[in-house]
Amino acid sequence: MRRKVFTFFITLAIWIVFSGRITDDVIFVGLIASFITTWLYSDLLFRSTNRRKNWAFYFKKFFYIILFIPVFFYEAFISALKVSKHVFEKKPSFSPGIVKVKTTLCNVTALTILANLITLTPGTLTVDFDMRERAFFIHWIDVTTAKEAEMRKQIIERFEGWLEVIFQ
Amino acid sequence: MGIRLIIAYIFMGGAIFFAIVTTIGLIRFPDVYTRIHASAVVLTISAVMLSFGVAIYVWEFYLSIKIMFVGLIFLITNPLATHAIARASYRRKIACPEVRSVDDYSKYLGRDRE
Repeated sequence: MRRKVFTFFITLAIWIVFSGRITDDVIFVGLIASFITTWLYSDLLFRSTNRRKNWAFYFKKFFYIILFIPVFFYEAFISALKVSKHVFEKKPSFSPGIVKVKTTLCNVTALTILANLITLTPGTLTVDFDMRERAFFIHWIDVTTAKEAEMRKQIIERFEGWLEVIFQ
Repeated sequence: MGIRLIIAYIFMGGAIFFAIVTTIGLIRFPDVYTRIHASAVVLTISAVMLSFGVAIYVWEFYLSIKIMFVGLIFLITNPLATHAIARASYRRKIACPEVRSVDDYSKYLGRDRE
């Protein structure tokens, strides 16, 4: 029930932002639309958790998320420049390959976000995830080392620490 | 011309640069997976930077937040689409990588024993 109320208000807020003005008819149509969305899809959008923590815990989490955004954009920008360097070479000199990298995270949301972050930083691309061994299969545009530890350090360690703090 | 417009133009110029790089890379790279790197992934940075720049340029509360939402949706949906294309084209053997130095995924699928 609480999840449904939460979904209802979130969708209503997004509707108001997208419509751009607050009048009677906009609110009326928005109520109907967000009611239908809540009724059909509320179990797909958010998961309810049973854990209860105090406010400081969530505040700390939020603070880390805010700190993480500029770090992420910096990393994405730098690696976009690295890929663009390959574009302007006379003969593209890279050695692509698919490598297997193990991770230590357990949370499903954290794993999804880590896969998305690996894909978003250019140069690496998540192809698949093996649930049994907890390993990502990553297509890497420029395989420099074949050693597991080195690859781990270069690809995912910079994000793994952040996500471990955020999703504990 | 204020400092706000200059920042907006810097963002938009970066976006244009990455879009051009994307197009050239799409033509020049050898196989499907490297083209995915060049196209989808660098284009994400370009689209997000462009939405930032436009949001700073218009500088109106509702309009800016709307444009930032568009950038956020780019940021969420683009890795999903990229991952789906790469995985499907590998598993269905539509395009196997030609040049590969390391390939652990074919071991995982059991294809090296064939």
